[in-house]
Amino acid sequence: MLSIPVKMAWRNIWRHPRRTLLTTLAIAFACVLLIFMLSFQFGSYEAMINASIKIHTGHLQVQAAGYQEQQEIRRVIEDPRAVHQALAAIPEVDAHAARARAFALVASQERAYGIMVEGIDPAAEAQVSTLPRIIRAGAYLAPAPDSEDLSGALVGYLLARNLRVDVGDELTILGQGRDGSVAATVVRVRGIYRSGMDDYDRGAVQIHLQTFQEVFSMDAAVHEIVVTTGRLTEVGPIQRALAPTLTDLANTHPLVSLSWDALLPGLKQAIAMDLVSGAISYVILILVVAFSILNTFLMAIFERTHEFGVMLAIGARPARLTRLVLMESAGITLVGIGAGVLFGCLITGYFATHGIELGGASDLFRQYGIPNTLYPRLTVVTVTAGPLTVFFITLAAALYPALKIQGLKPVEALRLT
Amino acid sequence: MGTIVECNGVSKSYRQGKLVVPALAEIDLCVEAGGFMALAGPSGSGKTTLLNLIGGLDDADSGTIRVDGREYARQSKAQLADLRLHRIGFVFQAYNLIPVLSALENVEYVMLLQGVAARERRRRAREVLAVVGLEGMAHRRPAELSGGQQQRVAVARAIVSNPSIVLADEPTANLDSKTGEGLLHLMQRMNSDRGVTFIFSTHDEMVMAYARRIVQIRDGRIADDLHKASEHR
Amino acid sequence: MIGNLDVVTMELQLAWRNIWRNPRRTAVILTAVIIGVWSMVGLGALMRGILIGMIQNNIDTLTGHIQIHQQAYPDDPAIEHSISDPETWMSAARDALPAGSRWSQRIRIGAVVSNARHTRGAILMGIDPAAEARLSFIGTAVTEGAYLADGDTGGILIGRALAQQFDTRLGRKLILTAQDSDGEIVSRAFRIRGIYQAEMADTEKGFLFVNRQSAQQLLKLGNRISEIAIRLPAHEMAVPVANDLKARLAGSPLRVRAWPEILPLLKAYVEMFDTFILIWFIVVFVAMGFGILNTTLMAVFERMREFGVLKALGMRPGRIVRGVLLETLLMLVLGIGAGNLLGLATCWGLSITGIDLSAMAEGVAYAGMARIITPVVWIRDLLRANLVVLLLGLLVCLYPAIKAARMTPVAAMRHH
Repeated sequence: MLSIPVKMAWRNIWRHPRRTLLTTLAIAFACVLLIFMLSFQFGSYEAMINASIKIHTGHLQVQAAGYQEQQEIRRVIEDPRAVHQALAAIPEVDAHAARARAFALVASQERAYGIMVEGIDPAAEAQVSTLPRIIRAGAYLAPAPDSEDLSGALVGYLLARNLRVDVGDELTILGQGRDGSVAATVVRVRGIYRSGMDDYDRGAVQIHLQTFQEVFSMDAAVHEIVVTTGRLTEVGPIQRALAPTLTDLANTHPLVSLSWDALLPGLKQAIAMDLVSGAISYVILILVVAFSILNTFLMAIFERTHEFGVMLAIGARPARLTRLVLMESAGITLVGIGAGVLFGCLITGYFATHGIELGGASDLFRQYGIPNTLYPRLTVVTVTAGPLTVFFITLAAALYPALKIQGLKPVEALRLT
Repeated sequence: MGTIVECNGVSKSYRQGKLVVPALAEIDLCVEAGGFMALAGPSGSGKTTLLNLIGGLDDADSGTIRVDGREYARQSKAQLADLRLHRIGFVFQAYNLIPVLSALENVEYVMLLQGVAARERRRRAREVLAVVGLEGMAHRRPAELSGGQQQRVAVARAIVSNPSIVLADEPTANLDSKTGEGLLHLMQRMNSDRGVTFIFSTHDEMVMAYARRIVQIRDGRIADDLHKASEHR
Repeated sequence: MIGNLDVVTMELQLAWRNIWRNPRRTAVILTAVIIGVWSMVGLGALMRGILIGMIQNNIDTLTGHIQIHQQAYPDDPAIEHSISDPETWMSAARDALPAGSRWSQRIRIGAVVSNARHTRGAILMGIDPAAEARLSFIGTAVTEGAYLADGDTGGILIGRALAQQFDTRLGRKLILTAQDSDGEIVSRAFRIRGIYQAEMADTEKGFLFVNRQSAQQLLKLGNRISEIAIRLPAHEMAVPVANDLKARLAGSPLRVRAWPEILPLLKAYVEMFDTFILIWFIVVFVAMGFGILNTTLMAVFERMREFGVLKALGMRPGRIVRGVLLETLLMLVLGIGAGNLLGLATCWGLSITGIDLSAMAEGVAYAGMARIITPVVWIRDLLRANLVVLLLGLLVCLYPAIKAARMTPVAAMRHH
């Protein structure tokens, strides 16, 4: 059995059904929009982060200090085996792979371009990146360089077009080794890949790590060890578990571990900017909604001045009336938020499972690693953040009329009908 | 029986724009406990103002008002509200009731404010609704009651907490004469059965006929004070 | 005519008084409209500013408004797809360019830059220093040393980020390696004459500037060039002028492209933002639309008795609809006016210094934005925002207006 004050508030809410309906609709509209937009944003961030992590960066990397900024060939991990061993002992680590890289002039029969040459361990690389799965022509690298033929290489489809090469063609690599010597070799294109991110597809050639180490006088050294894990949240624990090993290992440049956001500072900041600008727009929208419905709250007291006068006369204190009015405003808001959360979750949930076709904008989104179809991500945060803000801003708006009651004089109130 | 209401030199004026309109001037009035009294006079004479002052709904400009021995000027707003809640009942001309509550709930509401337990509240509300003859209408909302029935609920609400005094501002003004007479009968019974003091403001002849004391107010002053013989039983 | 004017004045006066019958309520809904319109104008101008910043950035950096290449170059920017005899084509095209246009010939070719310890890929730009300075950012970007002098065949300009990465400085040498027009790999040392700063670190690392003659010599190009870049007095001229140029150069081995063609992603961005701005306008309108509708409904229902009397006196329903809509119109015009003023004032305030996002430089670069955002007010955005509010606002209030007009006199009088 509901108490009388609650019953009163609820019945008062529905005294003007049309008005209440419009008010709750405004609130519900804001909630649906916020839930959808936030879920969309978080979905796109996740897609962007995952794309970057899976195509290339991994969840974290071990590098020599300064390599991330300078990309100098000298800044190497001298004993990658020790790092691999330490990583193998950490349970959260899913996979890890070593890479080495250097800029070089890569020439085909007709063309030459200065690009990045990357040495990868094909078997390990397959565990940490999507590279083997985005091969569009030819095949992924064999586990070890072919002893009978030239060592194999992978190129992006844009680079292949620029170099005018196809699977089976030869590429000459001409660069500078770690010791300053000339590094030169010939490799054979074994596969052509397409990630959709243009910069990546025209930026690098992948060859066997073993070949790379021989050609660029690397000995056993590598430049980075890429680590992947099941969840973003496990990155921190892995870094902590790894820290003692990295400090203990002797290396010319001390070893460091860098998490995905340190590896992709631009992405992290871009996400932060997007979130902040989103938040500003949403708060403005909620303010518009708050003023839009403030009249409902205002009318609720102005129309009932006489009624409040009677209540004051029979001994109700003004605080009780304020409480009643706030309860009514909160009630309307909660009904709106309830409907908004329900429909927001339904609509967003539908798109979260079926995806949103990006259509004409997909070329654009692909550059950020977002595929043709984007899946909004419905999480506790995306569902609650918007509605909670709506609730508090709306209640703040409702405070004004509710506090106005405090100044109500019974006699003057009674005079109005 | 002693005095329940005591007004000494009470004056009140209202501002209307730049004009100061005197409403009451130097009113001295004592009301005996158990009285059944009418404040009579044409509209604008000041009778409603006096009633409001006695009810603690408004502050006097000067003079003192005591109800039940307590002087209003010394009470805080909250104390005044409590005084109204426990010692005074109100019946207004119209729109007395909270429209979203049923008859029963309207009566209960006063006791809710007093902090009476729910079960006790319901019992007493039913009881008093039966007294005013509305036992069958307990769950109707004000809009589903006739004007007379609404006023009966208001009377029920006014007396349910056993106040010392009930103030009724033109209670019959919106009723036809038959219904009005029924309501007056009811109030008279409450007066005699429960000893509740009633003060009306009215210009209805019938109310005056029922009243045992008639205080005529004209231009903010007491013009006449008529005690009928039946007052002293 | 005079009589008509009289009626309009009176109706306006009546509507004006009616909207101020409940000043608080009107003030509240006006506030909603004002905040809404303010945010439309403000956020619209900010988004437009971001877009223009992006376009400006690209055009300044090395795109220009229009580029002319050899047919195959855009798809395959290799040395053999160079323009021979550029002067002839330029003289043929010159008439199509509006006064105030600037153009410059360039070599633009992929190369490898190295010193003793470092190597990386970069784009080698062979420029005519004087002409280029009037066209792209490089003329004013050198912060250390000096800009290229005409005839300085051994000098090179590099970006600050590259200088840092290569641990090098003014006066040192860098080796450039590239493929010449015969397909041979050639190298040559250049001395660093100047170090420039650009909006993005990627630009600073990616572009090297030498004199056109030295690039042509190194690459054995003769007088052939990679591209002609054209800068017009205004962005909007790009597409029409490019079309004109295309017509004039039809049949030639050249390909003319305006910036939207050169940077399709940027074009996609512009289009997406355009749609997004409109959607945002509508969203904000819906948020205030509920309030406008609700407030008008309240105002109408309070006055049902009045409408009943007017109808009983013989006022036609159409007049009542017009009266209610006129009140809405006045209210909207008031809110829109104040919202626009406030929005424009905000934009003006923000444009004095611009919003400096340098703290987020990497994020800004990732998104391809300019480091300083200045709001840009486009009449078209302004019109769209105002029309959305005005037209949809009136449309929404048609409901209460018709409600008022439909009320029969008797029913209206009975309405409490």
